[in-house]
Amino acid sequence: MELRLENFTKRFGDVTVIENMDLTVNSGEMMALLGPSGCGKSTTLFAICGIHKMNGGALYFGDRDVTTVSAQGRSVGVVFQNYALYPHMTAEQNIGFPLKVQRMPKAEIRREVERLADLVQIGNLLDRRPAELSGGQQQRVALARAMIRKPDVLLLDEPLANLDAKLRLEMRSEIRRIQRETGITAILVTHDQVEAMSMCDRIALMRDGKIVQLDTPEQMYRNPQSQFVAGFLGNPPISFLPARADASLTLANGQTIERPPGLEAMGDVVLGIRPEHFGPQHGTGLKGKVVFVEPQGREELVDVRLDGGGDIRSILPAGDPIRPGETVDWGIAPGTILAFGPNGDRL
Amino acid sequence: MTSRMLGIGFLSPAIISVCIFFLLPVLLTVVFAFTNMSTSTGIMGGDYRINTEQLRSLPDLDVSEATVERLETAGFQITEAGLTALADQFSKDTAEELREDYLGETFESRRDLERVLKDLDEPIRRTRDRKEAADLFAVTLIGERFGTEEEFRAALGTTGIDAVDHDVLTEFAYTGWTWTTDNFSLLMELPSTLRYAANTAFYVVATLTFNILFGLFLAISTFYLPGRLANTFRAIWFLPRILPPVLYVLMWNWFTWDNGFIATVMGWFGVPAKNWMMHTSTHAWTAIVLINGFVGASLGMILFSSAIKAIPTSMLYASEVDGANRWQQVRYIILPQMRWPILFMTSYQTLSLLTSFEYILLATDGGPGRSTEVWALAAFHTALNNYGGNLQYGFGAAYALVLVFIGIALSVAYLRFFNFKELLSKPRIEQ
Repeated sequence: MELRLENFTKRFGDVTVIENMDLTVNSGEMMALLGPSGCGKSTTLFAICGIHKMNGGALYFGDRDVTTVSAQGRSVGVVFQNYALYPHMTAEQNIGFPLKVQRMPKAEIRREVERLADLVQIGNLLDRRPAELSGGQQQRVALARAMIRKPDVLLLDEPLANLDAKLRLEMRSEIRRIQRETGITAILVTHDQVEAMSMCDRIALMRDGKIVQLDTPEQMYRNPQSQFVAGFLGNPPISFLPARADASLTLANGQTIERPPGLEAMGDVVLGIRPEHFGPQHGTGLKGKVVFVEPQGREELVDVRLDGGGDIRSILPAGDPIRPGETVDWGIAPGTILAFGPNGDRL
Repeated sequence: MTSRMLGIGFLSPAIISVCIFFLLPVLLTVVFAFTNMSTSTGIMGGDYRINTEQLRSLPDLDVSEATVERLETAGFQITEAGLTALADQFSKDTAEELREDYLGETFESRRDLERVLKDLDEPIRRTRDRKEAADLFAVTLIGERFGTEEEFRAALGTTGIDAVDHDVLTEFAYTGWTWTTDNFSLLMELPSTLRYAANTAFYVVATLTFNILFGLFLAISTFYLPGRLANTFRAIWFLPRILPPVLYVLMWNWFTWDNGFIATVMGWFGVPAKNWMMHTSTHAWTAIVLINGFVGASLGMILFSSAIKAIPTSMLYASEVDGANRWQQVRYIILPQMRWPILFMTSYQTLSLLTSFEYILLATDGGPGRSTEVWALAAFHTALNNYGGNLQYGFGAAYALVLVFIGIALSVAYLRFFNFKELLSKPRIEQ
């Protein structure tokens, strides 16, 4: 079911957290609300599920206006960061709770719980209490509980934040699988760009209560609309170098590189160069000295201090014998330089 | 070693307090319960004495009539004490003559002595006077005080009372306290025992139910109120607890007196004025449960409120998006997680209600009649505040001892039930 948020405004006391935000999530789509902490992404989620009241704007589930409908009246499933399982109930009772409060017959609840348990693959754990379940299993129970009502929208609030690295990887694909299998419209709130990029169809990147860019993960990575977006996505992060654009691009340290095709701006710009686009395999052009090498197994992260000032990051396949202190002359992959104006907008 | 000494040093005020204010009273209660101490026996021991009034109850002890008669008048003897009295009441000359001729002499019967008095050179002429004068020389145990058992038995020997009755009379004459288990057999026999036990059970169950339910109601209802309003309500409901008990109950008395608040208001609707606390036992019980209940409920409210606040907010949010309404949220999410606070409150209050009687004492004092007399109050009344004026310390202590044992038994049961270690290990409410 399509979800539409129009002119959404949320205030806490005198502080306006979100002002006039518009967001449309297509039916069956998984949308990430991504952003640093305090950007308003969780606030948006709480407003969508009805726990927080909206101070302005409207919310539609399909054609139904649910702006003033209470949380109980909306058909939403929520997975909370700490799962919020009921400690005094078994996994089965937890999953069946949304149906129990609807006074559904016990046999029917039982059948539905088993269906969901199969979907999230915890059929053998149904009579355990949350305290007897691992983090990943609790997550699956929470997911099943959120989905058992066949809600219009599934909301996931930092669902992977409390899991260790390996489980996180596993649950990432699990959640995506379940979302695809059920075709449910879902919103994932996260501050982790990897989660957002790997799990979602589209990402809404938020900053200070505003959506700064709404795009597919690939587009957002390749084609960021602003310096903030470029800096937020990518790990290891992009390097920014101030430069002056005229016939060529003159870096602040005096070195010059060619103008990338299509760049029309003149004057002061900030260049963004992703680490995978800078290295010996891209020829020569930028001279500097290696100051730091961080082996990461498959790859190596290399920090280069350019002659005359400025740091730039490179990521190289492991095995190249690069030592700190070495002088290098590496190039930039053609057509990959991102240029931003002084106000941070993409040029 | 030093730190251990230091620890004991720091603990010593507590240890001394526990000994003086807890162990010692319990010990004394045990001791007193096995005595017949009362106002008349005193607590320091006593002497041997039989009064005129006591003579009437002697036949109940299977003492023969001859013995009773002997006790009254064992005979007559001319003694210095009798002579001095005679000199005062009649004439010095008569007394002087009697001393010279008859000092130390005894007479079996009054008539013999009267004849002697008549035949003196300075006789007592009137028959009535002679009778009175003879009485001055009567030898009797009645009203006489003997410091030790030996003295009393020796005195008995001189009266010529049948030796079979000596033991009974010695015991009867003793005015101090003795060791006995009679208190407990008396407890078993008295119909009032059952009455007080039933009263206590009713009082504890009714008050406890009110405490817990009302405390829960206050905690849950204030939980859903906005912060400042909730705090205001909690503060108001906490007033009964911080008010001095005497003042608090006095206000209840004013509230319920026949010209008090309720009577006045009901008077507007034509209801005749009455004492709304003491009118019937139902009135009295209602008042007592409410008086105690409001105090207990305020404690429950605080405890339950904090327990509810300890439930993670996200869990409540989760129940809301799961579609639970307020009532279902309370019923399925909040109440199940309050199990431990409720059980704790129940056990704690059972113990304190069993032993506390100050509010009942101040409000109804066990009345009307004895309808609200609970066990602890009965112990107090018996031992320390008796209508008859004869405070039965021993019997009262027996009452109290029963309570001590019930309290210890309940405490042990609760400790086992709660598995105290587990309770202390970590808060139950977290997952």
